[in-house]
Amino acid sequence: MEHPILFISIILEKLGLPIPHGPVGHTFLEQLCAPYMTYTWLVMAFLFLVSKLTLGNLEMVPGKGQNFWELVIGGMDDFFADNMGREMADKFFPMIATFALYIAVANLIGLIPGFMSPTSSLNTTLALTLIVWISHHIIGFKEHGLHYYKHFIGPVWWLIPLLLPIELISNLARLLSLSIRLFGNIMAKETLLAILFMLAGSFFAPLPIMILGVLVSVVQAMVFVLLTVVYFSQAQAHAH
Amino acid sequence: MSDVKKEFVQLLANYGHVGFTFVASIIIGLGGGIYLDQKVFDGRTSPWFTFIGLAFGIAAGYKTLLEILWRNKEKQEKPKQEDKRIE
Repeated sequence: MEHPILFISIILEKLGLPIPHGPVGHTFLEQLCAPYMTYTWLVMAFLFLVSKLTLGNLEMVPGKGQNFWELVIGGMDDFFADNMGREMADKFFPMIATFALYIAVANLIGLIPGFMSPTSSLNTTLALTLIVWISHHIIGFKEHGLHYYKHFIGPVWWLIPLLLPIELISNLARLLSLSIRLFGNIMAKETLLAILFMLAGSFFAPLPIMILGVLVSVVQAMVFVLLTVVYFSQAQAHAH
Repeated sequence: MSDVKKEFVQLLANYGHVGFTFVASIIIGLGGGIYLDQKVFDGRTSPWFTFIGLAFGIAAGYKTLLEILWRNKEKQEKPKQEDKRIE
């Protein structure tokens, strides 16, 4: 279920490129031209261009554009430092801040008619989640070596058969819940908007859902980032 | 953003995912049990691994729930201790 009209897909179709009509294309070119891919590139280009235009030359006395970015980046930096400590925040700021900006813009872009959220496809969210999940294991392994796996088997040896499955399941549940929560929330928003547009678009029926959509987009971006921060700091702190 | 709104969003971010994580743990436990029953043992052990997996899944769900609660409790108690140190 998508917006009825996606303008990038129409442009690509006019250019003679194949657009998949199902959720996933069959050939490589079709997969590259799938709407969630093209809109991912649009979000990337948007972030590149906006930061290039507003941050072209840094000044001591910030102008309007630089002021905005200082507010956003400063706020995020404080938030990370509060939740995972100064050192970790400095180390992983580029990665998590990129996730935050990308997810927030990708969620919000779906509110404009003719655009869709790349995050309303499970492929995008699963890719983001896999990056987070794998890197939190790498952080834990780097920090503690093999001792990192000790927290999977619990404090005493006779509890291993009980605790090992529980720990494994709850660790894998992070993968599932992180990806499907973002995907589900955004896809629900997109589907609801598309249906309301088709039913009563000329009576402004989608407007209330759009207001809720702004809240959902911001909250989901924040949930993703907060959980990433929490997982990273837990993996780093598991000393016992 | 005003302070009330900020707090609201932070509360949503902290506790809004409790239900989903709970369900995800149960689904993974149950799915693992069904996989063991049907694919690994070809249905010979039929209902047993499903039930065991379901039990482990529910236990893992409660574990993640308690972890979220304890984490936020610690965070709330930490600033109080810092205040005491200053005094």
